[in-house]
Amino acid sequence: MSLAKFIEDFEEAVEDIEPGSLTAATQFRELEAWDSLAVLTVIAMVDAEYDVRLKADALKTCETLEALFAQVST
Amino acid sequence: MGFHFGVIRRMVSAMAKCSFNQVQIGGVVTCVPPLEKCIDDEIDLFGGNEKQIARLKKTIGLDRRRVVEPGTTAADLCEAAAKRLLEATSLAPEAIDAVICVTQTPDYSQPCNAAVLHGRLDLPKSCAALDVNLGCSGYVYGLWLAHMMVSAGGCERVLLLAGDTISRIVNPKDRAVAPLFGDGGSATLIQRSDSAGAAWFSLETDGKGFDKLIVPAGGQRAPSSAETQAEVTDEGGNVRSAENLFMDGAEIFNFSIVQEPKAVRDLVEYAGLDLNAVDYFVFHQANRYILSNIAKRLKIDPAKVPMQTVERYGNQSSASIPSAMCGELQDVLRGAETQRVLLSGFGVGLSWASVILDITGLPVCEIIESAPSE
Repeated sequence: MSLAKFIEDFEEAVEDIEPGSLTAATQFRELEAWDSLAVLTVIAMVDAEYDVRLKADALKTCETLEALFAQVST
Repeated sequence: MGFHFGVIRRMVSAMAKCSFNQVQIGGVVTCVPPLEKCIDDEIDLFGGNEKQIARLKKTIGLDRRRVVEPGTTAADLCEAAAKRLLEATSLAPEAIDAVICVTQTPDYSQPCNAAVLHGRLDLPKSCAALDVNLGCSGYVYGLWLAHMMVSAGGCERVLLLAGDTISRIVNPKDRAVAPLFGDGGSATLIQRSDSAGAAWFSLETDGKGFDKLIVPAGGQRAPSSAETQAEVTDEGGNVRSAENLFMDGAEIFNFSIVQEPKAVRDLVEYAGLDLNAVDYFVFHQANRYILSNIAKRLKIDPAKVPMQTVERYGNQSSASIPSAMCGELQDVLRGAETQRVLLSGFGVGLSWASVILDITGLPVCEIIESAPSE
């Protein structure tokens, strides 16, 4: 399980994100594409790809993709 | 209805699972209102953001929905469905021993809808009548109660009326719920049968999640007041009052994709079957995204999972499962070949319930439209 792969998966789960445009430091909640629909698609992606049940709260409190990945990989 | 209990004939396992024999569904009718709304026409609700509408259509599957006009209630839709059901099965009102209404949008806080409809349907005084306050899981809970009532010996025939008008309790300026919900009312006949088919049920609840899908005010805990009626704009720009339906979409989504596949697997195992033995999986028609995620996790063929009902009528709460049966599955459920179907509802409570049962040659299984309100 790698951070790079997670960022790729994230880019794919949220629509209208240019592949390769995000980094570990990206503050994903500031993205224009980040909305309540993106919350669902990211939860579904994490469940399907990582078999982890991400709490909606984690998506409201994590700042960066790296911090989110830490939630997924613990 | 009259009966007494002697020896308890069935042992119920520690979880709320049980099975029944010699009870069958004898017909289903669903009534939808004629007024159709489409998300494409609601560009103002989305602040002119056509791209967001396109994403919601593509990803969540939102499209059209049927909603009542002011003055029409769930009881009206259920009444129309029940009249058609009784007519199509050539049953006199006197043949009904009990009526169960499943609704979260009753005509009155009291008396219950079942009593009101008992009168409107001319049912006999010997008929029991009660309401069940459940939503998306409620149809299966109602079937479970009806199976128990028939199985216990007191009732030959139970009329299950499940319907809601959730469109009337969502705030039209709340994008999180307004485009999702449609209205509908259904009537299902459950009766004693000589055939050997079994029905397996599981019923579950997580009351700790009661506030994830809730109308916070207007009941006894927070009585209606000017304050509870005041509209508030949330951080996402959605407008609602405390008397409107609130849904924590992410939590409800999580709940659905975690609990539903597990509940289905557990029930199939309890019944001593495997997933391949089920011909159709009729889930509560929440939205296409949730349904396809559940199907994917169960690794079942999407062709066995009706998903178009919600795109045509919206999320019809307690009426969504009968609506899918009467619409998408109409031909197969009326056919001579026995279909083994799994019905599963999940939602407000939080509450979820599933049943596996056999259906053969329903004499009536159809969708009707209610008359436009005057």
